[in-house]
Amino acid sequence: MIHLVVALPAEARALIRHFRLRDKCSATAFPVYRNERMALIVSGPGKVSAAAATASLQATSDAVRHAAWLNIGIAGHATQTIGTGLGVYRITDRSTKQNWYPPQVLGFPAPAENLVTVDQPGEAYLDNTLQDMEASGFYPIACRYVTGELVQCFKVVSDNREQTAAGINAQLCEQLIAAQLGTIEALAGEMQELVHEYATWHAPHPELEQITGQWHFTVSQRHQLAELLRRWKTLLPQQPPRLDGFEQQTRAVEILRHLEHYLDHYAGRRA
Amino acid sequence: MISTIYIEEQIYDHPRTRMICKRFPRAAQVLCRRYGEVFNPGAQDFRLQKRRPSLILARKHARRVLPTPIGYGIGGSNNHYFSHMLNCLYDCRYCFLQGMYRSAHYVLFVNYEEFCADMDERLSQADGEPVWFYSGYDCDSLALEPVSSFLGHFLPWFAVRPHAHLELRTKSTQIRRLLQAEPLPNLVVAFSFTPEEMHLELEHKVPDNERRLAAMQHLQAAGWPLGLRFDPLLYHPDFRNRYRRLFRWLFSRLDATRLHSVSLGTLRLPHDYFRKIVRLYPDEPLFAGSFSCRNGMVSYPAGVESELVDFCTEELLQYVPESLLFPCSRAA
Repeated sequence: MIHLVVALPAEARALIRHFRLRDKCSATAFPVYRNERMALIVSGPGKVSAAAATASLQATSDAVRHAAWLNIGIAGHATQTIGTGLGVYRITDRSTKQNWYPPQVLGFPAPAENLVTVDQPGEAYLDNTLQDMEASGFYPIACRYVTGELVQCFKVVSDNREQTAAGINAQLCEQLIAAQLGTIEALAGEMQELVHEYATWHAPHPELEQITGQWHFTVSQRHQLAELLRRWKTLLPQQPPRLDGFEQQTRAVEILRHLEHYLDHYAGRRA
Repeated sequence: MISTIYIEEQIYDHPRTRMICKRFPRAAQVLCRRYGEVFNPGAQDFRLQKRRPSLILARKHARRVLPTPIGYGIGGSNNHYFSHMLNCLYDCRYCFLQGMYRSAHYVLFVNYEEFCADMDERLSQADGEPVWFYSGYDCDSLALEPVSSFLGHFLPWFAVRPHAHLELRTKSTQIRRLLQAEPLPNLVVAFSFTPEEMHLELEHKVPDNERRLAAMQHLQAAGWPLGLRFDPLLYHPDFRNRYRRLFRWLFSRLDATRLHSVSLGTLRLPHDYFRKIVRLYPDEPLFAGSFSCRNGMVSYPAGVESELVDFCTEELLQYVPESLLFPCSRAA
C-alpha cells in the first residue's frame, strides 16, 4: 500500500485521474481518495496541515500494517528549471532549524536536492535548495508509523528566481504534476515492491490467529507463541505446527512447551 | 557503490574528506551538522539500509580510545579499542553491529590525527609497558582501505612506537598497502573464518575463504605477524566435521609456527541486540535454533556451547601451542 500526501487539490487531480482513485471518505476533515493499492489525502497548504493529514490518513487506514508514504507537491528552487522533478536528501524546517534525512535506499528514478520547509510562501530562495511548505510536517509524522526508508518526498519545481511563485495557478500546478506522472509511477512502484518485501519479512505465521482462536493465550503467551511460530515458519516452512493431539481444554502453557521442545529437538538434529 | 555521502559541516574541507569525495565523483554530497542526525534517528531499518548504505564522513569528538570489554585480548594486559569506522561493508548475519546500530550507513571518522593523539596519551600512561590497540571492533579494519587510507596513516605511526601494538581484524583481502610496507612486529593482521558451508550461508559479500587464505599466505610470506580468529564459533549438528575440515585446510597452508595468536569464542550477543536482530531477520534459520539467555547474554545452551568450545580447542591444540590460543569469554 502507498499513502500519498499532497497539499493542493490541483496537485491531487492528475494523480487521482492517473491512478484511478475514488473518493472514499469525503466526510472526514481531509478529502481521501483510494484504490486497492494506494490512498491519497489532500492536506491543504502548510506543515501543520500536512502533519495532521498524515496522521488522519494513518488513522483511517488502520487495517494496513505496512505502507510506504510519499509526499508529492510543487516547490520553489532558485535555479532549477520549472517542471524538474526532484527527490529529497535532507528536509530542514526553516523555523525550528531541525533536519531530517530520508534514507536513500531506492534507486531513485530522479535526481534529488535538499529541501527547506518554510512557513510562508514567497520567502527568499536559497541556493541549490528546494523550498516547500509541507515536508517538515509530513516526514516526522509518517516516520511514527513506518521506517524512514519507506517515507520519501518528491517535488516538482514550480517557480524559481526567473519565474516567481506569483505566476502559479491551479492549472499550471496540475500540469506540472501531470508531466511527472511517469517518474511518480516508477517511484511508487519501487516503494510498493519494498513495502511488500518488508511486510513479507514481518508477516506472522498464518496459523497464529487460528491457534489463539482455539485455545486461550494471555498477551504474554501470545507473544511467546508468535516467536515459536516464527521459528517454526523458518525451520519447517512446508509443515503446519503439529497440534492435532491437543484437546480443547489443553492449557496454553502446554502448547507452548510442546512447540518449544519440538523445535529445539528439530534444530538440534537438523543436518 | 556509494551514491550518497553525508558530510559533517565541520570537516567538509578536511583534506581526507576531499580525498574521499574525489573517489566518488557521482555521489551526492549532503551536509549535516553531526553524524548522529543521520545515523541515530529511531525510524530506520538496518536490513533495508543494507541494500544501499550511504557513507557518512564525520569527526569523532570524544571517547576515541576505550578500554576493551573484560575477556577481550590476546595476551596483553593493557587493552584498548578504537573505531575509525562504524559498520561494515560485509553483511554477516551473526554480526552484533546489526543489533547495536539503527543505521547500516558506514560512518568514517576522518580525524585520524586525534585518534593517534589519544593513543599516545594511553602509551604515556602505560609508562613503557606494551599497550594493545584493537581496530576491528565496530568495523572491518581493512575492508574500506582503498577509500579510507587508514593504514596509510596508522602504519607509520605504529612503526615508530614499538610499545604500541595493533590488531587489525578483517575478513577482507585488501592487503596491498601492507605488502608495500615493511612488516611491523607490533602489528597483527587477524583473519576471521567460519567453515565453508557457514560462510556461504551467513557471510554475505565477504570474500570467499580461499581468497582470504591466499591473502594470509601472501602476508605470511612477506613477514607480517598473523592471527586466526574463530569468533563466533557456530553450532551445526555436523560442526565437528566442519571445523575439523576448516582447521586442517588452514593449517595445511599456513606456517603455524609463525602465527601470532589464535582466538575463539562462541556466538554471543547482548539480549537486546539479539532481539533486535531477530526482529530484523525473522526468517533467518540461524536464529530459529535453540538459544538461552544467561547474565544478559544470549548464546547457545550451556551444553552446546561447551561442546563447541571444547571440541574446537582440542582440535586447534593439534596445530598450535596452548600459549597462542586465546578463548574469548562470554563478556567480551
